[in-house]
Formats: sequence, structure tokens, C-alpha cells
Amino acid sequence: MSSTPFDPQSPGAAPAAAPPPALPSGPGSAPFVRLPKSPGLAAFLSLFPGLGQVYNGRIARAFVFFFAWVGSIYLTASGHEFPFAFVIPFVYLFNIIDAWKGANAANARFLGGRSEPDEQQEIESPVWGGSLALFGVLILFNNLGWLDLDRLARWWPLLLIAVGAYFVYASLEARKAAGGSGE
Amino acid sequence: MSRSGFSPEGVTFGVCLVALGVLGTLANLGKLELLPLLRTYWPLSLVLWGALELVDLTLRRSSRGRS
Repeated sequence: MSSTPFDPQSPGAAPAAAPPPALPSGPGSAPFVRLPKSPGLAAFLSLFPGLGQVYNGRIARAFVFFFAWVGSIYLTASGHEFPFAFVIPFVYLFNIIDAWKGANAANARFLGGRSEPDEQQEIESPVWGGSLALFGVLILFNNLGWLDLDRLARWWPLLLIAVGAYFVYASLEARKAAGGSGE
Repeated sequence: MSRSGFSPEGVTFGVCLVALGVLGTLANLGKLELLPLLRTYWPLSLVLWGALELVDLTLRRSSRGRS
């Protein structure tokens, strides 16, 4: 947690014309800035789901990952293999990636920079919120007996088609945006 | 992460804890059965979380549009 903050007002600092406080990079400046979070440690702690998020200081997210992991194992074991058997590895791997990215984002904030571009892109997309809500509605309807997810099990490859189509669409959009902005 | 003033997962977690506390109290008073209720209605937490993520996104977009 301890750090060596760079003070642009100090006598040995960069010229006053440089507006944002930048990292010292020259040979005469402070050689080392200790980052507050280690992405590797965050990912390692996430081998137990939620612990990496606790390390990153995101307690609510930690609980969400922990309960999603435990809940999906419980529901798979109690006879709902579809879709919860697929949810277990998804939650587990996503939890590790989230801890890694959370630590990187905390370091970026500490340095006064921005978050990673792909994280920014993820936040800007309604896909995450929409998928969560849709998934919740489907399971709720299944629990209430209005929908039989077991009967839908044979249609699961359609999910792969939808996800694949989304990736194709997103990469085409990114290519279009890159072409429009620079080249 | 969020710049609209609230964290969707934080609000969801808080609401779920409050709901769990209320339901637990009612269950202890013998007014309802907790486990069957939770087994049926737990996906509402996902619906709430997803809806709050969408609200958060909309608020950030509109605040960016104003500035």
C-alpha cells in the first residue's frame, strides 16, 4: 500500500508546463513508484472466488462472485446441470480475470491514468446488463414453472451462434471505427 | 469503475442483504418459509443487478451528453 507519490511542485520535478502529474522517467528523478495492487497476487487470490476482489477492495463484487460460484455448484449438484454446469467455469474464470483487471484499473487510477481501453469498452456496452437481466428472468420463469429450461436444453448451440455473431459484429464495428477515425 | 455516482453491484448487494434480513426475521417469526422462497426468487437479484447496470450506463451516457 505504501507508495512514493510524485510531486510535480518539488524542485527536482519536471517543468511547470507539463500539466498532468506524470511518472518520473528520467535518470535524475525518483527511480521507483510502488503500485498499490499486484495483478498477479489478485489473480492468485481469486483461485478462491471473491478473494481477489476483497484484495482489490471491491467487497460487494467479491460476495457476488462467491455466491455465484457456490450457487451454481449447488444448483448443478441438485439436478439442474443445464445451464449451471456451464456457469461454474464461466464464473470461476471470469472471477480471476476480473481480479486481474480490477488490480490494473486501481493501479491506473493511482497513477492518474485511465482504465484499460477494453474495460472501458465493456462498461460502455449494454450487453453485460442486458444479459444479466435476461438470464435472471429466464431462471425466474423456470423456477415459477412458466418456462421449462430442460426442454430448451437441445437448443443450447443457438447460444454459441448468438455469441459468435456478436463477436463478428463487434469486430466489424471496431474495424469500421478504426477506419473512420484514422486511416 | 462507475462514474454515474453509484455502483450497481454494491446497490444490488445491499438490497439483497436487506431483503435477506427482512425475510430471515419473518421466517424466524414463523410468518414464512425462507428456503423455498429463496430457491424460487433468487434470480430477482440478477434481474435487479442487470437493470441497475443498464440504468448506470444510461445515466453516464446522458451526463456525458450534457457536458
